[in-house]
Amino acid sequence: MSTSVKRVYCYLAEFESASALYKAAQKVRDAGFSKWDCYTPYPMHGLDAAMGLKRSILPYFVFFGGVIGLLTAFLLAYVTQVGIYPTVVQGKPANIFTVPAFFPIMFELTVLFSGFTALFACLGLCQLPRWNHPLFASRQAHRITDDGFFIAIEARDPKFSKEGTKGFLGGIGGDNIELVEEDGK
Amino acid sequence: MAHHLVTSADIPVDGEKLAVDKVSRIRVICLMVAIAGALVSVPALLGVFGRGVQGSYSFSWLYGFFFFTTLALGGCFWTLLHNITNSGWGVSVRRVMENVGYVFPWMLIPVLPILLLPQVQEFLYEWMEKHRMAKDVAGSVKEGLHHGETADHLLSSKYWYLNLNFWYFRVIAYFAVLGFVIHFLRKLSIDQDNDPEPGTSRLLRARFHSCWGVPVFAVVLTFLAIDLVKGLDYKWFSTMWGVYVFAGSALNAMAVIILVTIALRGMGYFRNVVGPEHDHLMGKLAFAFTVFWAYISFDQYFLYWYANITEETRYFVLRNTGGWNYVSIILVFGHFAAPFLLLIRQDLKRRNGYMIVVAGYLLFMHMIDVYHMIIPERGPSVTKILNPENPEKWQLWLNGSFMGDVIAFVTIGCFFLFVLLRNIGSAALYPHRDPRILESANVHN
Repeated sequence: MSTSVKRVYCYLAEFESASALYKAAQKVRDAGFSKWDCYTPYPMHGLDAAMGLKRSILPYFVFFGGVIGLLTAFLLAYVTQVGIYPTVVQGKPANIFTVPAFFPIMFELTVLFSGFTALFACLGLCQLPRWNHPLFASRQAHRITDDGFFIAIEARDPKFSKEGTKGFLGGIGGDNIELVEEDGK
Repeated sequence: MAHHLVTSADIPVDGEKLAVDKVSRIRVICLMVAIAGALVSVPALLGVFGRGVQGSYSFSWLYGFFFFTTLALGGCFWTLLHNITNSGWGVSVRRVMENVGYVFPWMLIPVLPILLLPQVQEFLYEWMEKHRMAKDVAGSVKEGLHHGETADHLLSSKYWYLNLNFWYFRVIAYFAVLGFVIHFLRKLSIDQDNDPEPGTSRLLRARFHSCWGVPVFAVVLTFLAIDLVKGLDYKWFSTMWGVYVFAGSALNAMAVIILVTIALRGMGYFRNVVGPEHDHLMGKLAFAFTVFWAYISFDQYFLYWYANITEETRYFVLRNTGGWNYVSIILVFGHFAAPFLLLIRQDLKRRNGYMIVVAGYLLFMHMIDVYHMIIPERGPSVTKILNPENPEKWQLWLNGSFMGDVIAFVTIGCFFLFVLLRNIGSAALYPHRDPRILESANVHN
């Protein structure tokens, strides 16, 4: 291939089945690794607990997105309909008691803003979109979307070591252990 | 629960039963308070303390009755919904739902004064009085409503539905029909407890019979709410009324179910079959129905506010007059905004102490909600009947009437609690031979 420097990205190990992966994930968690991930063809229930993942902070983003949507709608409607250009319809008041008329808009903008926040905050937290992923360098990693169950322990993990991690992954039942390298710059 | 897989070894063969002595004191107190309350209430409703007290207390009694009936109706709803959706998660709390629902047929007892005493009806339901007057004047109700001095075009047109015989028939039928449904489903469930070979047949039968039970429930709740509460003002129209009452019923029955499960767990039951996962699921349902209540009640308000039709807006005009306006505003923030924020967090829904407070708060808001449905009609109705010579000088509020509301509420509340405890004590606490009890015990969400 090229002459560029390669950088170690992770050790990738394949596991036989979903349950083997689940048990292995518990062992990786208990061994104290922090920069690692499981790759499966489908979502596995309870894997987040087996991996020791904390709850996502996404709901807080969504909540505040919703609050901003609510306030935006309220101010937009109130300032224009009551403040700048009071609109009297059917003798209804043009003051704070006009608010029921704004509720549908307030509801819609709350939903819209929380929806957008959910989408974009999720993309942000997942660091998506991206052009490439280092795992794509591995041939066998392509089976993640087909029938393979993998655990990858990344080199940036403080407990990572070239020999020790390989032995560890073998010890918890991993097959086809592969050192995945990405193109460095 | 999350760390330990529940197996059939953890489920007692004969199930868990409530030790009667643990609640016998509370039951006796409830019964005694209910009887003492009845000893005050019956003379008050008969008019022994005067017409003013009789009129005022009629509304108090309807308030107490309707509040606890909505809770029982909600219990029926959750039982039916659980069966019809083939739910696995709630098998271990299903008996609690059935027990709350099975209070419903017993609520026929507190409704008796409203059914039997024409003087009480005179205060509550203006249309009945007009029917009776029409009969006295013209010999027949239909004739009297159609022409002459007692003519009332609206009541004449509504006669096919709003007439006394049909009203009596309907109110009795609600209790008979839905009472039968909930009794039947609960019996099906209890029979399973004693069957050495339970199998799945009862499960499928409960599902099958709940399929017709749900429309029956919907009709009973809607028309019970129309006949007993919307009928307070026969000129008022609302197509949202039934579903509005339903939203509050389902929400607050869930609050009762949450409280009962937490209380029973505190007494040492349910240890293996109910855990934080169930608290979480029930909290989610309470959250969902908080939003649903807001959606429905706002829709009702909003459409009237836009359309601005006299017959329809009267309900809200009265409830936006004087002090009632504050009650209406309290409902917007207290019944929707506050529980919405209180129930939104996942981890808090799994904490029992927290949920006791929230469920109690929801029930308190439901008290205000039902109060807001019924009691604003009291001042105008009672004062107009007591002072027929100047109907323009009606009062919004009757002094001292709040005492009656408290007495009626406590009396019927103790009756409700007594029947509920009786139901809980009369069968196993959860369907321990249900084929899906382990699925429910190990539920994860």
